[in-house]
Amino acid sequence: MVLRKRRVGTRIDNIDDADLLLLKKRVDIATMVIISLIAILIARLWYLQIHLGEDYSHQAEENRVRVQVIQAPRGIITDRRGTVIVGNRPSFNVVWMKEDAPNPDEVIKALAGILHLDIPVLLDRVRAGSSQPPYMPLRLAEDIPWAELVYLENHRYQLPGVRIEVLPTRQYLNDEFASHFIGYLGEINKKELETRADDIYQGGDQVGKTGVEARHEAQLRGEKGRNYVEVDVRGFEQQQLQVQEPLPGADFSLTLDADLQQAAERAMAGKAGAVVALEVNTGRVLVLASAPAIKLTQWAGGISQKDWQALLDNPMKPLVNKPLQGVYAPGSTYKIVTALAGLSEGVITPDTVINCTGSLFFGNRHYGCWKHGGHGAVNLHRALTESCDVYFYTVGQRLGVDRLAQYAKSLGLGAVSGIDLENEKAGVVPTKVWKKQARKESWQDGETLSVAIGQGFDATTPLQICRMTATLANGGTLYRPQYVEAVADADGKFVSRFTPLVDGEVKGSREALALVRAGLVSAVNEKHGTGSQARLEGVLVGGKTGTAQVVRLEHYKGVAAANIPYKYRDHAWFTCFAPADKPEIAVTVLVEHGGHGGSAAAPVAREVLKQYFAGKIGPSEGGQPLAPSASEPAGDAD
Amino acid sequence: MWRFDRRLLLNFDWVLLGTVLVIGAMGLLNLYSATFMAASYGTPLYLKQVYFFVGGLLLILAIISIDYRRLITWNYPLYGAGLLLLGAALLLGRTVGGSQRWIPLGFFNLQPSEPAKVILVITLASYYYRKDTGKGFTLRELAVPVLLTLAPFLLIMKQPDLGTALMLGFVFVSMTLFVKLKWLTLGVLLTFCITTVPVGWMYFLKPYQKQRIETFLNPEGDPRNAGYHIIQSKIAVGSGMKLGKGYLKGTQGHLDFLPERHTDFAFSVWAEEWGFVGSIFFVATYFFLILWGMNVVISSRDKFGAILAFGIISLIFWQAFINLAMVLGLLPVVGMPLPLFSYGGSSLFATLVGIGILMNIRMRRYLAPM
Repeated sequence: MVLRKRRVGTRIDNIDDADLLLLKKRVDIATMVIISLIAILIARLWYLQIHLGEDYSHQAEENRVRVQVIQAPRGIITDRRGTVIVGNRPSFNVVWMKEDAPNPDEVIKALAGILHLDIPVLLDRVRAGSSQPPYMPLRLAEDIPWAELVYLENHRYQLPGVRIEVLPTRQYLNDEFASHFIGYLGEINKKELETRADDIYQGGDQVGKTGVEARHEAQLRGEKGRNYVEVDVRGFEQQQLQVQEPLPGADFSLTLDADLQQAAERAMAGKAGAVVALEVNTGRVLVLASAPAIKLTQWAGGISQKDWQALLDNPMKPLVNKPLQGVYAPGSTYKIVTALAGLSEGVITPDTVINCTGSLFFGNRHYGCWKHGGHGAVNLHRALTESCDVYFYTVGQRLGVDRLAQYAKSLGLGAVSGIDLENEKAGVVPTKVWKKQARKESWQDGETLSVAIGQGFDATTPLQICRMTATLANGGTLYRPQYVEAVADADGKFVSRFTPLVDGEVKGSREALALVRAGLVSAVNEKHGTGSQARLEGVLVGGKTGTAQVVRLEHYKGVAAANIPYKYRDHAWFTCFAPADKPEIAVTVLVEHGGHGGSAAAPVAREVLKQYFAGKIGPSEGGQPLAPSASEPAGDAD
Repeated sequence: MWRFDRRLLLNFDWVLLGTVLVIGAMGLLNLYSATFMAASYGTPLYLKQVYFFVGGLLLILAIISIDYRRLITWNYPLYGAGLLLLGAALLLGRTVGGSQRWIPLGFFNLQPSEPAKVILVITLASYYYRKDTGKGFTLRELAVPVLLTLAPFLLIMKQPDLGTALMLGFVFVSMTLFVKLKWLTLGVLLTFCITTVPVGWMYFLKPYQKQRIETFLNPEGDPRNAGYHIIQSKIAVGSGMKLGKGYLKGTQGHLDFLPERHTDFAFSVWAEEWGFVGSIFFVATYFFLILWGMNVVISSRDKFGAILAFGIISLIFWQAFINLAMVLGLLPVVGMPLPLFSYGGSSLFATLVGIGILMNIRMRRYLAPM
């Protein structure tokens, strides 16, 4: 460096050569240090920008792009005629944007007054959302009324950080209409979020919790849209990058008949129980009512502990979807099975006569008939019409429990029907093997007598009884009850349509089925028939009453029904089909603790039938009533 | 004194000036990108930096017109003035971000620790030059320079400004190693350093300073707070990849994910927008500046010039290295500007004064000693 050619002036140094050598040596060492340190920097740059460049690019993208979810409107649910049962409407929620107003105290104070909410309630919500990032809107109040919305909109400048979020929410034809069947929505809980590993759901999402809403959640929910926004470090939106529109959920058209359902619910007002109506030749569910109803909107913002406890404590058990979750002794409706089995197995003929003296002595006890004075000489027709217990004790005794069970099972009893709803109960059709397994005891012959009239170990759901009735009515085909008529995607294209499903054929002859049907028609229409209260002008109805004992208490024998405590009163059944000559519909009614089937349940079935045939059968078409409607009711029979 | 006017002009260090201008231009370009999005009041920062730069170049003109050897006699008044300014900063300084570093001068906030660095270089160079016997310094002879360094060091630590204080230490060590030391002295000093580091950690560092070092060792452990700077800077640099995102197109910088992006983390913005290629170009230019400075050391006409030039070069190099290493996540975050590149008048003035002294030494390499 020192030996430069171009020199201006003479170099006069006071650095001697030794010094210069020393300096040069040190500068060289320093230069080496510098070169190695710079090499480290370059290696680091290569490592970060080339080796890990892709990773850091992704991280930079994640930094700057925020994904906002756009909720998809759920699919609409209609009845078979297109009446909207469950639709959507906009709901206005109050949200607080943490990034716009970091201090919630004043906002909460102001909002509590406007929204008529307690400050602790709002504080809980704020605390619950304290861990979420500041750009996420924190929901403070859901679905506020119109007046509050207007007030908030007019005072928005006084309330920094408070925004109104519009979300689609469920709108019901009626808060309590088909409530168990439709089911309610609720906020997704932690467990559901964890079990569903896909990123479809986020905290705060509304999901179907029960009924159709839960069962078809995957199709009803649609697909969320996504809005990609570029944001800065404070979360302020810079520009929109991409929008993915939400895809609305699929629309469900149910087989349900809203008018019939309404008629059933009206007739059940004040009662507890179930009404089921099926199309006998297809298995379509026309009515599926559980009383008392629940309020679907009660769950929207999370049900309060108080309301929940009230539902649990209610003796009418509103939380049970009784048509398929309620299990009851079938009572005399089971005589359909016994009659069918007796005829088919040849232990009786239509002309077999059995003398009813009011009770049957078997083993070492008396099995009483409901008519203490006795029916006298009874054939099949009269036995079904007047529901003579002694007759069916005898038939049951001749059949044995296991043969009886084969017929019961072929009619769909003792097993879930396969209706696509949660928590359906199978009930019990007792056999000797069953008792051995379930009770660790051997079968007592006397128990067969109880089973033959639908008491004892027999346990059925109203849906099973209705299905049995439909099978009897259609000539022996066991259809699966189904409730989805059609599913259409967001473009209106049908994804699926109703097709009948046959689960089996009845064990038993056609003739036997016809004879039982005839007996049931008489039970409604003849003078001493037990189901006379289901009689309908213009349509011939066949039906069977039933009374299921809740407790066998000698104590209450002869006591007027009204004087027995509610929970000890008998359950009332009525199951029927119509029209008798060419059956279309089967209706089953169960009234919990309703007393006698003829008086408590049959009128409800009559209302449903009346609605079903209203306008369907004109006066010209109407058959003549077989019996005068003024005839005296056949006692508080069964 | 003006007798040598023609020769001085012919010996003017155009290469050094050119290199400084290239780095400065990159800095201004980058500063514009880093700040044009931000809402600003009054003069935009890049324009201010242009003014500082022009002012600094004028300062160079003034410096090169006076022979650097005068600094040998001016050094103690200068040193005294430096300490006074540091004291003033502590007494009436503006507190920014928890530390008192600035003296408000109306048009400009002076950061006295910046001139203090250059003044320490001059002071140490004068001392070593005067005391040099050619036999190497003993431990006792080093007592004075240690005290000379310790005074501003403690004042700056008090602000507190760990980065700048450490820089004084780096400069002191570099310059002391550059002059001849007795081997025994060197051994004793090394042992002393090794034993004092844990003591310093225990008693001298403030909790936030300790936390910074701990965070550096494990940035992902605390991503939302202290580790944030390091993580975001690495994301910015890394996402630049080979060719960068393009000028004015860096997302980390413009969306504010990068902290201090016009001052200490300016290079992150550069690396994000210009990629590996641009980063290498920058580092290469800087490397050339340092090598050229070493050339000035060797070619100086006297030992004072050599020591002084080496001190200035070490000051610039250590700042640049520590800043880049910090930006690249190799060192913990300390307040340390990248000389000639980061925004900031005090740092720029101090650096340009240093460059002026280098030019001064270079110009007078063929002159007779005074």
